[in-house]
Amino acid sequence: MHIQIEGLKKYYSDKLILDIDKLEIEEGKITGLIGLNGSGKSTLMRIISGLDSDFTGTIKYNGQPLNGEVYKKMTLVTQKPYLFRSKVFDNIEYPLKVRKVDKGSRRKKVEEIMERFQIEDLKDKKGHLLSGGESQKVSLARALVFEPELLLLDEPTSNIDPESMNIMEREIIRFNKETKGTVLIVTHNLQQAKRLCDRIIQLDWGKVVYLDGVF
Amino acid sequence: MIAIDYIVEGFKEAIRLLVGFDKEIYDIIFLSLFVSSSATIIASILFIPVGIYLGIKEFKRKRVLSRILYTFMSIPSVVVGLLVAIILSRRGPLGRFDLMYTPKAMIIAQTLLVTPLILGLTYSLGKNRGKEIEKIGKTLGAGQKDIIILIIKELRIDLMVNVVTAFSRAISEVGAVMLVGGNIRYRTRVITTTISMMKSMGDYPMAIALGIVLLLISFIVNSLIYKYTGDD
Amino acid sequence: MKRFSTLLLTLILILALLVGCSQPAADTEPETGEEGTQEEAQNEAEETKGDDSQRLILATTTSTQDSGLLDHIVPMFEEETGIKVDVVAVGTGQALEMGRNGEADILLVHAKASEEEFVAEGHGLERRDVMYNDYILVGPKDDPAKLKENHPNDIVGAFTAIAENKAKFVSRGDDSGTHKKELSLWEKADITPEGDWYIEAGSGMGDVLAMANEELAYTLSDRATYLSMRDTLELEILVEGDEKLFNQYGIIPVNPEKNENINAEGAQKFMEWILSDEIQKVIGEFGVEEFGQPLFTPNAK
Repeated sequence: MHIQIEGLKKYYSDKLILDIDKLEIEEGKITGLIGLNGSGKSTLMRIISGLDSDFTGTIKYNGQPLNGEVYKKMTLVTQKPYLFRSKVFDNIEYPLKVRKVDKGSRRKKVEEIMERFQIEDLKDKKGHLLSGGESQKVSLARALVFEPELLLLDEPTSNIDPESMNIMEREIIRFNKETKGTVLIVTHNLQQAKRLCDRIIQLDWGKVVYLDGVF
Repeated sequence: MIAIDYIVEGFKEAIRLLVGFDKEIYDIIFLSLFVSSSATIIASILFIPVGIYLGIKEFKRKRVLSRILYTFMSIPSVVVGLLVAIILSRRGPLGRFDLMYTPKAMIIAQTLLVTPLILGLTYSLGKNRGKEIEKIGKTLGAGQKDIIILIIKELRIDLMVNVVTAFSRAISEVGAVMLVGGNIRYRTRVITTTISMMKSMGDYPMAIALGIVLLLISFIVNSLIYKYTGDD
Repeated sequence: MKRFSTLLLTLILILALLVGCSQPAADTEPETGEEGTQEEAQNEAEETKGDDSQRLILATTTSTQDSGLLDHIVPMFEEETGIKVDVVAVGTGQALEMGRNGEADILLVHAKASEEEFVAEGHGLERRDVMYNDYILVGPKDDPAKLKENHPNDIVGAFTAIAENKAKFVSRGDDSGTHKKELSLWEKADITPEGDWYIEAGSGMGDVLAMANEELAYTLSDRATYLSMRDTLELEILVEGDEKLFNQYGIIPVNPEKNENINAEGAQKFMEWILSDEIQKVIGEFGVEEFGQPLFTPNAK
């Protein structure tokens, strides 16, 4: 899958905060999105994931316009994830439940991913009572459990311990390699961008100022 | 002096009636609980999902809707009672169902009374806190119906508090149940109509006794809620 | 536009507040009014020491108040004597209770036995007949217990027929004078009314008439309330004129020894005034204009 953006403009009241002539997010690659605070990175993520539909221009997903079916194939993980007031297991199970996956496979998939993220001991804890680092891991696990085509990450590893960060980066790469999933990640950490990304896009005042295949 | 005597007498009478398991007073208490909880449950089941939906949905005239809802939240109970009485009386449009002066009529009136409250409180909860949950639901692939269920689950504690608020309004109101129930002994007499009647009969101790029972019910219900909120 | 909508919102909010507040306010108004007037009466009494004749508290029943008679005659008294009369309309039981507690100066009620007991216990100075009105038995046009046919002026016979037929009957059930009257009639008929047909409303006369109308039931009513609501009811007078249905009103000045605030002088004046030939004549004419028949028959001796 890939995303094509053309003539995208987004205003907040009268202020133009995104102005992208042409941009492609390539299939099967991990693309890093960098830029200063207020450069429009998070807004772009919200637009692609369907949380903000108040813009002009076209965004196409495999040549199709964005719609409900397309949104079901992608997911967004934010810097301060919201976990449900239920057990960690139920949190991770949720995307499978709404996709009507049968109970047996749900259980298997959730247990598998918890093991890979080394969060089995959190299984019965309540989601909204977890620490920051724990919830970031759980929220990435919850996003990956249904194997989306496109994974949108908005600073998913800010302020967490190095070990958790290693696990998360490893799982992002595994997702990209094993399921050929496409990743778009916003990060402030240039080292992380170097470790993960195949390409980098830099936004400045809502415009693409740097676009490079080799980093 | 006299006022203190009344209160002391009221307490003694309350204890005597409650400890003595006076059947009539327990029937009155039970009918109060039955009518008000039925009305609250019906209004909640029907209108919590609607309130959440309206809260998260963006549409034109949303602000107009807010104002209308908030206005109706404070609708006087006698107005609701009057409206229902007109509709249910023999000459009214639903007269043939013979519902006037029955517990069913009281449930209908109280359901109408608490519906704006449930709808308004749920709506503002949905508007203020539901959108964040809606976004998460959306990014995880949930459909419209899944999202409403998800929000109800996530906000269940706040919703419970709203439901209790509605129940408290229902069980403490006198206008609507008096008008459509008629305060008929053994049939439609509830705590508040009994208190109102006892007062006009000059029977203060009995009125105070029932007032204490009403307070006790509020206290128990609220304690249960806070216990529940505290546990979670 | 924005300003306009803000204004509109403010208006609606104020309106909502008013609507929200108006109910409890309306509920409590009569009460605070009562207390207020009592307090005021006391304050005034203290301030004007020795000139207690300025204000008189008359405790009476709601049905007396509802008939409109007092609104008609009390202003005449106030004009004639300069004494301001505060009419407090409550249930008969509560009116007597107010007398017992010395919260009223004079009582105008209609429960002869209780009144005589009240005087005998020393709470009142004396009891004098003022006037009477009468009760009537009303019911649905089709009259299932055939009261009009068989007992047009025999109330005990009518009550017996109602009980035998288990015909629906709405009772005031509120310990009011009318309720007491009804209970005494059941007693005379040697019947303990109970069962589904006997509906104990615990409400005022107007509500009970509306309920009887709705339930197609019989009920005992005072003539005045029935006449004032006649246009909205499908109920007819079925039994009337039986002496047992007469309702005697008595006037009792409260014993001034209860407390120093009792306006004994004013009470005495009011009693003499209401028993005077002139006012008795006014009472006998009250209601003719509106209903085509008098509501009360004066019978002061």
